[in-house]
Amino acid sequence: MTIAGTVLRAPFAARTWRELAYSWATIVPAIPAFALLLASLVAGALSLVAIGLPLLMGCLVMARHGTSLFRRPARGLLGWPWPPPTSRAGSALRDREAWGSLAFCAVKFPITVVACFAGTVVLFTAAVGLTSPLWWPFSHSVFGLYDSLTWPQTWLLALQAALVLLALPWLVRLLVAIEKTIALSLVAPRDEQRRIAGLEASRRALTEDATATLKRIERDLHDGTQARLVSLGMLLGRLDTRLDGRVDPATRELAATASRIVAETVEDLREIIRGVHPPALDDGLSTAVATLASRSAVPAELVDELPGRVTGPASTMLYFATAELLTNVARHACATRATVRLTETASTLRLTVTDDGHGGASPATDGTGLAGLRRRVQALDGNLDISSPPGGPTVITVDVARD
Amino acid sequence: MRAVIAEDNALLRDGLALLLTDNDIDVVGSVGNATDLLDIVAARHPDLVIADVRMPPTHTNEGILAAIAIRRDQPEVAVLVLSQWVELTYARQLLAANPAKIGYLLKDRVMRSRDFVEAARRVASGGTALDPDVVRALLAGPSADPGLQRLTDRERSVLALLAEGRSNQAIAASLHLAIRSVEKNIASIFTKLDLPNDSSDHRRILAVLRYLSHRNNSSKDH
Repeated sequence: MTIAGTVLRAPFAARTWRELAYSWATIVPAIPAFALLLASLVAGALSLVAIGLPLLMGCLVMARHGTSLFRRPARGLLGWPWPPPTSRAGSALRDREAWGSLAFCAVKFPITVVACFAGTVVLFTAAVGLTSPLWWPFSHSVFGLYDSLTWPQTWLLALQAALVLLALPWLVRLLVAIEKTIALSLVAPRDEQRRIAGLEASRRALTEDATATLKRIERDLHDGTQARLVSLGMLLGRLDTRLDGRVDPATRELAATASRIVAETVEDLREIIRGVHPPALDDGLSTAVATLASRSAVPAELVDELPGRVTGPASTMLYFATAELLTNVARHACATRATVRLTETASTLRLTVTDDGHGGASPATDGTGLAGLRRRVQALDGNLDISSPPGGPTVITVDVARD
Repeated sequence: MRAVIAEDNALLRDGLALLLTDNDIDVVGSVGNATDLLDIVAARHPDLVIADVRMPPTHTNEGILAAIAIRRDQPEVAVLVLSQWVELTYARQLLAANPAKIGYLLKDRVMRSRDFVEAARRVASGGTALDPDVVRALLAGPSADPGLQRLTDRERSVLALLAEGRSNQAIAASLHLAIRSVEKNIASIFTKLDLPNDSSDHRRILAVLRYLSHRNNSSKDH
């Protein structure tokens, strides 16, 4: 196709009309988007005195979601490869997509105003100008329009209109291209980000699923199997009382043995359930860890700086980490006392287990399970840090992202 | 004696009712959740309430909260709490106000019917019944307490049984000691822990419990 052909055909190309349609369709949502940008500028200025920060974060979240108003027509009319925003937890202030969306809000309105204005004016004047030689003879005599022009001059007018009409597609194309570049490079999530977001989401779902399943198993064992065993034990206890003095000692002994075995089974089952999902965790991490510390073989002190009830996969992880670390202290450290500390930051929960033993703990040491524990902590985006110089003390720090 | 049972598992609720009836304790009501428990206790004024810790709707600590409310609002009603697990936090909450007429036992203990019924009667008559596991936890923990460190092994075992809520006779029987010897040990414990000694079993037990639960609380705070 020749250049001349392209230029001549451009005003009639579907692309031109789609781009114009997109501009017209998005001029209305572009207005609140621009208002949102102005609001964020105000909030940004106010954030110097701290109160604006929540406002700014609100603006960022709205911008992030608001770009959907442009994404749908852009995909539908123009076929832009603009994927939906990734669902991300964490601060909006560190969210590239949110800042990108705000930048998009800033440029979208002026660009679209120019495109719409140019499109409307050019189409109208072209319609009038191109047809002027045709209706000049009538209007000239009847209505007196274009009185100052002669008929040959209307041909000049028509030529000007044609030139403007030929230029319009290129202006619109340029404006839309700028918009596309900004949308796809700043707003749209990058491939690896989408992949990471997808992986994070599926990992979270898996963890939550596993926690829920374990909880259900615990409830089933507690309400079903264990309740039956305890009521069996009660029956045997009552039987034992009734047999007192009525049967020979050997028979009584049988009942007593049966009773004892049931009691032992209940105890075993309780330990199993504790390993599946400690019910104390439903009452919050602090309660559960307090129980662990009080049962520790090496005297353990709990320093609990968590503000309230903390539950969820992260707290389950920290509970089992505490259990393992205290077991390690008892088995390997030759310690006389241990301290368990629970603290938090805005985004993480931290467990610190300190002992006054001989040190030298390392993930490479067999039997400590530190390597395995570290792997499981990392699976929750956490981190396990070991400081254990020879001679001690050993300080193990576990950080896990809050749920 | 009149008792009310609160347990959400029907099998255990019925089993407990039969066990108590077998031992001449009237079961004047049995319910499956804490709200119903508070209603029925207000309506029927039982001598004793036996309550599970985990009950609907949240299955966490409803029983503990109900027990604390009953002891606060109707001090004449004794409460024996049954727990699937021994949680020191629960024990502390229960003992915090006044450890009289309070029991906290592992649920398994109902299988040893004689001991269980004895504990129920003890609690109903103004005493205390604390699970041996709870006592062990209260006595363990950070042993910075100089009083406890001065105790001999024998005195520690006597203290443990005392904290469970046992009488001098029961301690003597359980440790195969003469009553005189138990009394001597107890006197020595009270001197070493700096507690006011008292002739009645009941007040001694309260003193010990207050001492132990306070000791653990303060060690948590610093």
